[in-house]
Amino acid sequence: MSVFEHDYKPYEGPTTALWKRPLVLARYGLSEAWGSKITIGLVVLALLPCVVDLVLMYLANNPVAKMLVVGGSKVLEVNERFFFSAMEVQCWLALVLAAWIAPRLVSFDLGDNALPILLSHPVSRFGYVLGKFIALVLSLSYVTWVPLLLLFLYQCYGSPVPWTFGHLQIAFGLFAGAAVWILVLSLICLAVSSWVKWRVIATGAIFAVVFVPAGIGGMVSAILRTRWGFLMNVPVLMSELWIRLLGMAPFGDPRLQFSSTAIFSVLIAVALLSVLVLNARIRAREVVRG
Amino acid sequence: MNAAMDTICFENVSKFYGEVLGVNRISLKLSPGITTLVGPNGSGKTTLMNLMTGLVQPSRGTVSVLGLQPSNATEFFCNVGYCAQFDSFPRGLTGYQFVLDSLMLFGMSEEDAHALAAEALERVQLDAAAAHRNIAGYSKGMRQKIRLAQAIAHHPRVLVLDEPLNGLDPMARAESLALFQELGRQGMHVVISSHILDEVDRVSDRVVLITGGYLIAQGNIHEVRQEVRDKPMQLLIRCDKPDLLASKMFAVNHCVEARLHADGGGIFLRTGDVDQFYKILNEIAIEGAVKIEAVTPFDDNANAIYQYLIGSDGSTV
Repeated sequence: MSVFEHDYKPYEGPTTALWKRPLVLARYGLSEAWGSKITIGLVVLALLPCVVDLVLMYLANNPVAKMLVVGGSKVLEVNERFFFSAMEVQCWLALVLAAWIAPRLVSFDLGDNALPILLSHPVSRFGYVLGKFIALVLSLSYVTWVPLLLLFLYQCYGSPVPWTFGHLQIAFGLFAGAAVWILVLSLICLAVSSWVKWRVIATGAIFAVVFVPAGIGGMVSAILRTRWGFLMNVPVLMSELWIRLLGMAPFGDPRLQFSSTAIFSVLIAVALLSVLVLNARIRAREVVRG
Repeated sequence: MNAAMDTICFENVSKFYGEVLGVNRISLKLSPGITTLVGPNGSGKTTLMNLMTGLVQPSRGTVSVLGLQPSNATEFFCNVGYCAQFDSFPRGLTGYQFVLDSLMLFGMSEEDAHALAAEALERVQLDAAAAHRNIAGYSKGMRQKIRLAQAIAHHPRVLVLDEPLNGLDPMARAESLALFQELGRQGMHVVISSHILDEVDRVSDRVVLITGGYLIAQGNIHEVRQEVRDKPMQLLIRCDKPDLLASKMFAVNHCVEARLHADGGGIFLRTGDVDQFYKILNEIAIEGAVKIEAVTPFDDNANAIYQYLIGSDGSTV
């Protein structure tokens, strides 16, 4: 029988604010994501188009170089269209990066049954998801709005004529368009990763979740002779949104030009669905009872 | 201190996972010291521990730990240390990082976290070189130690350990049990589930027997044993004339079995009335006909209680 001395001293020192706790998980997540050489390789690859864009911007802004290389063609004009193309490329490369990183953040924890340990700390399920979400959003920022805004700044610096104040909407569009995309994409990727414990399958499932509904939507539109099926086509919706945010004139198939309300409604629905999946899957319960 | 502030309280607690029963109508009050949860696989021990650590919420009833509810997450979780049964860790961390990050999740400053991590690793006797290696390269025993270090590092008042002795060699098991004993003596709540009954039996203050999600018995091991009246208690009596003692004991009707010890220096006796038995044994000792050297309860332990109340197949007897 124990003799209770009652001299056990619990920790009574100062503690950090509650809101800082998910940042520990975010740091965990970032080191997990960036600990892989493949992540580094993907980020380098995702930044290569920006290097090409930089060269094109240099050529466009340097009359001598422009004359020598393309003979003064208007093809090399740095405008909304140029940044739209750059944004499309970066945002779709961000999908590739997200499909690689997100399963590392969540599937591993689920596969390793690490959630009971993590959630037995003063961190809620929301805090856990928030930490992983921050890690993913930060990682995707490196290949989306950060390089895009740097390209914009380079254009502001390199343009031989006053350019900045007439094109501030491009800067806003680059940031807002990329932000909307990486926020929605991060939620989708975390939700899929929480559903599929096997990392390789999770990576494939992320691509499937983005592109399979697009195909189904196309079929629905063709069979029912309606344009509303295209609302399931996230790539089309995002392109439409980016065009508007960059202040470009609409172009392409008029059937795909949905109202901003319709576009945002679909994106919000996708985000809510992802949150529901995360709520169902991120639980501390251990599967095996004993 | 208010009694509720120093106990783990389950009041009519049930937990269902959909249609699957986790635990049903459990009412318990656990005081400081070492409590062992005993039951077969699937009996609901882990569910009980998950309820205690706030990882799952009860479907019915209330759980309070030192007067705290899991809804008060900050204070609740800072008072509870949990060592899961699964060999599960966030990937890619060293043992030291695992304990350090855990402490920072509890809200310790980096400086305090380093000091507490070093202290916890020292308590579980994991050397510094090993602590700075990746957990993926750890042996099973080292993984148990690092899990234990993580559970005690933030100085919780309640320590919940799910199968903490699994995978440990006899030396490491003895060290761990000594640590649990020390913590229990200091007034900490240590709740252990283990299948190594012989060893936890030596350090436990009380047992909680559970099977099929139902509470079978709880309390001090000796008290629980005495409540199992339909199983005659077995005692080993070391004496100089075991045959004489056997004949005297058979004269009373509550003594149902007598068996000589292999070395001839004692006798195993089964009695249905322990109080009467001790009374008669005292009289025999006073008579002086038999010189009694020692009386040892032989089935007054967690293992025997498990066999009597639950049975080897896991169903209640």
